[in-house]
Amino acid sequence: MSGGASIGQMPENRERVTAWAMVMPALAITLAFALYPVVQSLLLSLRRQFLGVPALGDTFVGLENFLLLAQDPVARDAFLRTLGFVLCSTILEVGLGIGIALVLHEHFRGRGWVRAAALIPWAIPTVVASQMWRYIFNDQFGLANLVLYGDEVARYHPWLASPTWAFVIIIFADVWKTASFAGLLVLAGLQVIPDDLYDAAKIDGANAWQRFWHITLPLLKPALLLALLFRTMDAFRVFDLVFVMTQGGPGDATQVLQFYGYKTLFTEGRIGYGTAISVSVFLAIFSLSLVYLRLVGSGLLGKDAR
Amino acid sequence: MKPRPLLAIGIGGIVVGSLLPFVWFLITSLKSQGEIEAVPPTWWPSGGFEFYRSALIEHHLLDYVVNSLIVAGGTTLLALLVGTPAAYALARLRLPGKRWLMGGLLCISMFPQIAIAGPVWQILNVLGGLNTHWGLVLPYVTLTLPLAIWILASFFAELPVELEEAAQIDGCSPWTAMWRIMLPLATPGIFTAAILVFIYAWNEFFFALLILTQPEKQTLPVGIALFQGEFTMPWGELAAASVLATLPLVLLVILFQRWIVSGLSAGAVKG
Amino acid sequence: MSWKPDHPAVWDEAIQAFTERYPHVRIEREIAPHSSTAYHDLLTQKLKNQDASVDVYFMDVIWVPEFAAAGWTRPLDDRFSDAMQAEFLPSTLQVGRYRSQLYGIPSRIDAGMLYYRTDLLAKYGFEPPRTWRDLVHQGETILVGEQSATPTLRGYSAQFKQYEGLVCNMLEIIGSYGGALIDEQSDTARLSSPETLAAIQFARTQLLGPMASRATLTYQEPESLAAFVRGNAVFHRNWPYAWEIANNPERSSIAGRVGVTSLPGSDGHQGVAALGGWLMGISTLSEHPDEAWDFIAFLTSHAMQRYFALQAGIAPSRTRLYNDPELLAANPQWRSQFAVLQSATARPRSPVYPALSHIMQRFFSRALAYPDLDLLPEARRAEQNMNRLLDLTRSEAS
Repeated sequence: MSGGASIGQMPENRERVTAWAMVMPALAITLAFALYPVVQSLLLSLRRQFLGVPALGDTFVGLENFLLLAQDPVARDAFLRTLGFVLCSTILEVGLGIGIALVLHEHFRGRGWVRAAALIPWAIPTVVASQMWRYIFNDQFGLANLVLYGDEVARYHPWLASPTWAFVIIIFADVWKTASFAGLLVLAGLQVIPDDLYDAAKIDGANAWQRFWHITLPLLKPALLLALLFRTMDAFRVFDLVFVMTQGGPGDATQVLQFYGYKTLFTEGRIGYGTAISVSVFLAIFSLSLVYLRLVGSGLLGKDAR
Repeated sequence: MKPRPLLAIGIGGIVVGSLLPFVWFLITSLKSQGEIEAVPPTWWPSGGFEFYRSALIEHHLLDYVVNSLIVAGGTTLLALLVGTPAAYALARLRLPGKRWLMGGLLCISMFPQIAIAGPVWQILNVLGGLNTHWGLVLPYVTLTLPLAIWILASFFAELPVELEEAAQIDGCSPWTAMWRIMLPLATPGIFTAAILVFIYAWNEFFFALLILTQPEKQTLPVGIALFQGEFTMPWGELAAASVLATLPLVLLVILFQRWIVSGLSAGAVKG
Repeated sequence: MSWKPDHPAVWDEAIQAFTERYPHVRIEREIAPHSSTAYHDLLTQKLKNQDASVDVYFMDVIWVPEFAAAGWTRPLDDRFSDAMQAEFLPSTLQVGRYRSQLYGIPSRIDAGMLYYRTDLLAKYGFEPPRTWRDLVHQGETILVGEQSATPTLRGYSAQFKQYEGLVCNMLEIIGSYGGALIDEQSDTARLSSPETLAAIQFARTQLLGPMASRATLTYQEPESLAAFVRGNAVFHRNWPYAWEIANNPERSSIAGRVGVTSLPGSDGHQGVAALGGWLMGISTLSEHPDEAWDFIAFLTSHAMQRYFALQAGIAPSRTRLYNDPELLAANPQWRSQFAVLQSATARPRSPVYPALSHIMQRFFSRALAYPDLDLLPEARRAEQNMNRLLDLTRSEAS
């Protein structure tokens, strides 16, 4: 977005004071409920505090929690699993999103209704979506079994009991839920591509595929990267799906970092260690975002986009 | 227009894919207890609203709806109240450290909820905000501000500068300029931001789970996630409750599809 | 105060009875989620943040050491005399203690039991199984015979999802093979003992698959009970509450055809039941400990336990009630199950139990979900992790 435009007539000092006054409420609330907790968490992650073992005390231990974390095979598996989840789901989401955007960009009767339909998965609570998919993949009453096997009840498959399927279904549910969001970001990118580019290409004899590959995709790059950025940030924090559908099982197959952190922090009472896990989630998201932002360009931060 | 088979397939895929799970829950919610337990499942329900009655009366679904409305509505109002001037200042006024502010906002939207949950809980505990609706509104406002400011700022930035310059010459302060001239013009942006914030607050689960522990205060997602019968899994009631929880959003999306699309794409276009 | 939300009407009446007797005490009721773990997380969140609004709470039998070590709950020995204690089942008092002090007053007791279909067993001339091998044998015979009549029938249904209930189910199977989760003497984990590995091997090859649907890997109590009451399982493992539902014609298609017995053992070992149940404790932060005690004493009194047993089918923790003719008429299964309730085995009692439980849940769930997994190294690793935690608490004791 643009921050460059500014009103010239006003004395700079007064403008600054007004600007700060306007930003202040938002800043205050953010400082209190985001920055303070973040700093608090960073500090907690450097302490040793285990509620069930008060004798351990509550002491500053530097990076001990992070060193332990690096050696914790469960955390390592959860990290790799989360990474796999993020990779699969974001790629599928953005890929499908391109498809959805291309369709929604076309002119046809009832387009508004189709757009609305596409938005529904994005709009409904993740918790509800999770329950829906859990029911669809239910071992007895599920739609999946009904569609695949009809009334051959003996062949009904308990999908969520299989480690591989459980993981696939979590990804599937996430893709279903958010592909349309990615699609909308891509759609916005499509809308700013001028039509005359396509007309020119048509005259040059390029077919639809060539036009997509050589015009649409390169010009979509910023929108795609933005969609990837948003989806990556979100997918890393996957929690609701796992909480409702699998509780991390079976056999840890859906144990993602955020859920592992939740259990360590809130169920086990390992405050320092659990916080260190969530801080690591943040660091992972942060570093990935930096990579994306470098690719997208600093325009995102509102310096001077135009 | 000549028929386009590929497009038709795409449209069909989007509509069926998006609606399928919802329709299956809708069908389920209209079944009878016997049909719910049938294996293989039946395709068509015999119809009947037994599960809706039970979800509404025995599971107090309406209370959850009211709670969600209060929380989501409160969040939307406060986020706009706080976010609009901030967005205006960021889009229009000279402000040292503007980049840092925007970057900071982006950072906040990255932080995993569990990491800030503990301290947020403590603050609310001190303020007496646990098990209150405003106690949930405050963190929600914090979490939605980046999105709201983002959308609003990009709408403000779109508007022509000349109008304000004219206002300035007439001696208007930035407040008046924002209030009298920019706000009316930015109504679509405000509206879009409102819808998106509302949907976020309506759907959020993690903080709601932590902050509201009394069932009579809880919001819909918590109610539905912890929806478990005493002794059996009440799929029929769950389906009915989910349909009712989703219906307002479906309506919202159908009515305001255009605004949502433009709002979500606002950041992308200029990004 | 907090508790699980079952039988709201019965509770309302109980509270009303209390306020009539103690009009100066106002009871504020806070209802917690169904899941014991979710309740634990909410309650500990309050307690660790010094929330003084909760005076009395229910504790699952596995929480007492944690709550006591963290200093969240008051010792009650002064208020709870030896004479009073003598009226309760010893096993329930045992789990209320931590380091020889008593923190929780038992309010209800739970133990794992084996439910079975009396009609099917009678049809094939079987007595309730005494060993797991009997159970598999009977199950196989019945499944073959009933295949055409009830194709959905399975031999066994239980709770094998990755959650706390999995620890209970596995403790029972392991115990009945002569194994244990933790060695009492040395206070170290014992997951890699030959008995334990044999028990897990039995569960993953003979129970899961041939007897129980693999879907039980996603089952908690409600789903597994639903399978049983729909007539889809010959045998079913659950807590005492399942009796009433399985025999209630409105909720069960097998009402009147349900029997209950103790869980099977193995050659040379008795069956083992996991001990569950709820205790009442007083928060250290409570500003009204005397009123809180009045409330606990009232709810755990002979009269009230009898009332809860009659109205809600909750198994009481007072010994004498198991001789009460009216109670036994309403719950005939308690007569035969009294021995099971008395001898039920507690899960490891440690202030770091939630962390220990997660390690065990992970190990057991992996063992069951991946049938080809090499058990010994997994068991060793889980043991190591558990012992590291146990060392922490041991060093605290010394």
